[in-house]
Amino acid sequence: MTTYVALLDGGRREETIDVTPEGPGVYRVEMGGEVHQVDAFRHDYGTVSLLVDTASYSVQLDAGDSEVKAYIRGSAYPLEILDERRLRMRRAAGKFTVEGKQTLTAPMPGKVVKVLVKVGDEVKEGQGLVVIEAMKMENEMKSPKDGKIVELAVVEGQAVEGGAKLAAVE
Amino acid sequence: MSDRKPIRKVLVANRGEIAVRVMRTCREMGIKTVAVYSDADRGSLHVRFADEAVHIGPPPSRESYLVMDKILGAARATGADAIHPGYGFLSEKAEFARALDTAGITFIGPRAESMDAMGVKTTARKNMADAGVPTVPGSPAPISDENEARAYSDSIGYPVMIKAAAGGGGKGMKKCERSEDFLSMWQSAKREAGSAFGDDRMYIEKFLEKPRHVEIQVFADEYGNTIFLGERECSVQRRQQKVIEESPSCILDDKMRNAMGEVAVRAAKAVRYRGAGTVEFLVDAHRNFYFLEMNTRLQVEHPVTEMCTGLDLVRMQIEVAQGEKLAIAQEQVVRRGHAIEARVYAEDPARNFMPSPGRISYLRVPAGPGIRDDSGVYTGWVVPQFYDPMISKLLAWAPTREYAIERLKRALGEYTVHGITVNLQYLRAVLDHPAFRSGEYDTGFCGKFEKELLVKPDPRYEHVALIAAAVAAYRRDHDAAEASAARAGQTAAPRSNWQRLGRARSLRGSIR
Repeated sequence: MTTYVALLDGGRREETIDVTPEGPGVYRVEMGGEVHQVDAFRHDYGTVSLLVDTASYSVQLDAGDSEVKAYIRGSAYPLEILDERRLRMRRAAGKFTVEGKQTLTAPMPGKVVKVLVKVGDEVKEGQGLVVIEAMKMENEMKSPKDGKIVELAVVEGQAVEGGAKLAAVE
Repeated sequence: MSDRKPIRKVLVANRGEIAVRVMRTCREMGIKTVAVYSDADRGSLHVRFADEAVHIGPPPSRESYLVMDKILGAARATGADAIHPGYGFLSEKAEFARALDTAGITFIGPRAESMDAMGVKTTARKNMADAGVPTVPGSPAPISDENEARAYSDSIGYPVMIKAAAGGGGKGMKKCERSEDFLSMWQSAKREAGSAFGDDRMYIEKFLEKPRHVEIQVFADEYGNTIFLGERECSVQRRQQKVIEESPSCILDDKMRNAMGEVAVRAAKAVRYRGAGTVEFLVDAHRNFYFLEMNTRLQVEHPVTEMCTGLDLVRMQIEVAQGEKLAIAQEQVVRRGHAIEARVYAEDPARNFMPSPGRISYLRVPAGPGIRDDSGVYTGWVVPQFYDPMISKLLAWAPTREYAIERLKRALGEYTVHGITVNLQYLRAVLDHPAFRSGEYDTGFCGKFEKELLVKPDPRYEHVALIAAAVAAYRRDHDAAEASAARAGQTAAPRSNWQRLGRARSLRGSIR
């Protein structure tokens, strides 16, 4: 048996799932006090025909390392799935917090077309700090919290990669 | 009479889905195709699709797809006798049509003079008003000074639309509600216009309350024969970008359709129009209609009309460009059933529609009765950050509106895109919304129902998602463990699968 913990709603909810193999593609799955007989048949990339007891589902799994997006009957379920080791590592890394210095990063690659603040400016949560153009649309990157700009990592006209640091607010 | 020669090779001065769309018809007509591509598009589908392809520079469109000399150079180098501009990029640049004329290359589009007359939106509005076509109130000419523009907006009253004079496709267009927001919106729209069209002249238009966006497809040949092919209702828009288009429109009856069609034909004739064009109207709550602008090109949503009429507008464009007469007259135009188009964008509705460029790790497109998918992507393609986020247009046709909605919903459910985030859930939510279902919606639809359209996943299937993810994780971990065990035990195991196979065969033989 292997135990997994799924994080939902960006980590605000947790579910524990026990998986025990019972044959090729057949599992006994225990979750929330209920036991299910599960038959998972892999179709092409990311597509699984899942029989849960007698219900049949076509499931699409868009899986990264621990982040998974599952698509079922028109709904998308973004979640994180961790085994015990990964969960311990995650807990050790500490919880996400809005205390202290917050870094604003570029959510996608693009070009900085406007920097709206200077180092030392007082800003409000939700206030636009940097405008990035990607796919011909301008997107305003907003301050994650009330505070003061302690660092600006970009200048107007600069190209940035996804995940690049833009500014820090404290 | 025409001295135009048959077209044998078409250069498509565009990229992505529309380039593929145009090339498909060319192939059906036995016409050779030439693609152009920037550094970001070497792996793009349209390059693979074409008979020839020419590299035209770095990713930003200002340095590649918008550079006339490079496009002309590519046409000369490959001996293309015609250029199809698609939509966007150079499609509405009269200067480009002129340059092609001079070079003796056929422009698959209208005359340069018609584009002049319609291209600068403020001039177009004046021309139309002169021709007796009703127009939306607004600044008679582009305004260069931002303070002057604000003063003008203050005087006509908010909300106003800030628009690019050279605009189209929602780029460089903002709705401004209050004088306080005016300057930052003006500047942002101006920058967008500059980078999208290479022209940042702006003007102001009054925003009508509860307007619907209804457009009429017109078609004209060299000889002044001009027809209309019905309407497209495009009121489902977000940030001035169309999201869903359908035909027929729920608010038009035959009388109003014919009245709008006649006005559209009059507008086209007033500028000696040739080829495919679209006359856009705003329709107010009292079903009065006003001329908004004429798009002197093929529209993104042209397949809606194709599905209702059974015509191929690209083929008709090419025929007209070769100097042929329109093959059908107005009374021969047949419209059947209902067609709806949904634009699939690489964007994340849950994160304020943030663009989501990146690698598509898996793609499976819908099929089945009445479905058409005009796409420009494939599994493995990296959607570049430099261009429009639209990756595909999914259409459904059915005998009635209700069937067409259900069919499109069904097809959206089959659409699978991994690796990047797309707006499929959002599109389904639009189709399901009571206001959309009832047909009683206007251009404020997406804004008004913003929250309702951001669907939460159905709680009934959450446990299935968890089971699926856990089983997949178990399988992955198990496979990984097995693989490493196999590597560790390699010396003891048979050297190769051939040996294993040989051993298995001899064993089986001994049993027999």
